[in-house]
Amino acid sequence: MNFRTMQAANRRKTIGLLVGMGVLMWCVVYAALTYFGGSGAGIVPIAVGIALISVWGSYYGSDKLVLTMTGAKLIQESDNPKLFDLIQEVIIASGLPMPKVAIVIDSAPNAFATGRNPEHALIAFTTGILDAMDRDQLQGVIAHEMAHVANRDTLVSAVAATTAGAIAILSDMLTRMMFFGGRRDREGGGNPIALVISLVILILAPLAAMMLRSAISRKRESLADATAVSFTRNPAGLRSALEVLASDSTVVQQRSTAVAHIWIESPLDSKSVSKLFSTHPPIAERIAVLKSMESLG
Amino acid sequence: MKTIIVLGVVALIAVFIISQYNRLIRLNITVDEAWAQIEVQLKRRADLIPNLVETVKGYAKHEQSTFDAVVTARAKATTATTVADTAAADGMLTQALRGLLAVAEAYPDLKASTNFLSLQEELSTTENKVAFSRQFYNDNVRELNTAVKTIPSSFFAGFAKVSEREFYEVEDPQDRKAPGVTF
Repeated sequence: MNFRTMQAANRRKTIGLLVGMGVLMWCVVYAALTYFGGSGAGIVPIAVGIALISVWGSYYGSDKLVLTMTGAKLIQESDNPKLFDLIQEVIIASGLPMPKVAIVIDSAPNAFATGRNPEHALIAFTTGILDAMDRDQLQGVIAHEMAHVANRDTLVSAVAATTAGAIAILSDMLTRMMFFGGRRDREGGGNPIALVISLVILILAPLAAMMLRSAISRKRESLADATAVSFTRNPAGLRSALEVLASDSTVVQQRSTAVAHIWIESPLDSKSVSKLFSTHPPIAERIAVLKSMESLG
Repeated sequence: MKTIIVLGVVALIAVFIISQYNRLIRLNITVDEAWAQIEVQLKRRADLIPNLVETVKGYAKHEQSTFDAVVTARAKATTATTVADTAAADGMLTQALRGLLAVAEAYPDLKASTNFLSLQEELSTTENKVAFSRQFYNDNVRELNTAVKTIPSSFFAGFAKVSEREFYEVEDPQDRKAPGVTF
């Protein structure tokens, strides 16, 4: 597969997953209505409202928020001219505006990108990754981060987080109502099978939403790899960078799950997270895909 | 009722025409910008050369033919105006510079000098920037040319005064980022 078909496939899958998320949301609302009638419907806007406020505030200020959460420090061109040279190369290749650049003092090699749109983008590198990588590898990493910016992944993950959050809040509130208030609108009678199905949906929905959210994050990582190749036309650079990351066992100190998805290599211990819930595709799989692009020449 | 439908259809057609027209204009402007970027990067490289040649000369006096090749290619590159001429001169200069760096390999003192090392880094980033600006230009030319040739945007090309643009083709078999053959 070349990077164009890879990009198209990953975009299609993201849309499919987002639609899946929408369908799941619809199922939960349907279950709420079946089980609680009118009072269930009243909960929906509350849950969506809470999710919207909590996620979109952090989306809008993502560049500043992530700086404080990861302890990254903004740097100027004079602080690291070589890094800025490399970033400018990728900027020219992608046609994107110049992002803000930050450094995280951490010996583990890693990098991330954030910001609500390309004009407010921020890319950050740990001191470890700058020391560990040569020119081509670092160029691949920068291209991967700028690919996240180009694909507006902060927006995509905010949409996924909002829906997953709303589903979680909704199902949490409704299961509580079951225990305390019970069903008040019994006048409709109701089909017992429909009631059981609704109950199962309410209990399983948050889990399914989390899986969908992780699946979206994984697709966006694969897409960013493919887009990075479309910028540099050099899959070998990113591939060998990922090999360096794979062989390095240190992980960044900052291990908050809240920002795990933004790093190029997941900072969470992959053994403790099952594949269904991990935010990144297995690094060996990403290396294999890039190798197949190399053989195309 | 009937007039509302007619007005709605007219409005839809107007929106369609405007969006097609704007897309062509936007693509054309992006190609212009991409071209300007190539010129900026070529100029950057040209500005770098005198200093580089002087530095190498200080250590390797007997490589006059290599220096001449670089200087001639630079002169051609700075005077070229059309896309094809610029591309040809650019390819020549890239080759000549590669020859110059190959010469430098034979002089350990030169290779160790800090001045040369910083020039080398600057030259390699500039070469990359030149290559990427070419690639960006060609990608946009490809998109514009596709729009000019395919239906429905092709209907509006004449109206928008947008026509096919020329690819920037550098003849260089060694070029890994060969533009135009990305499939």
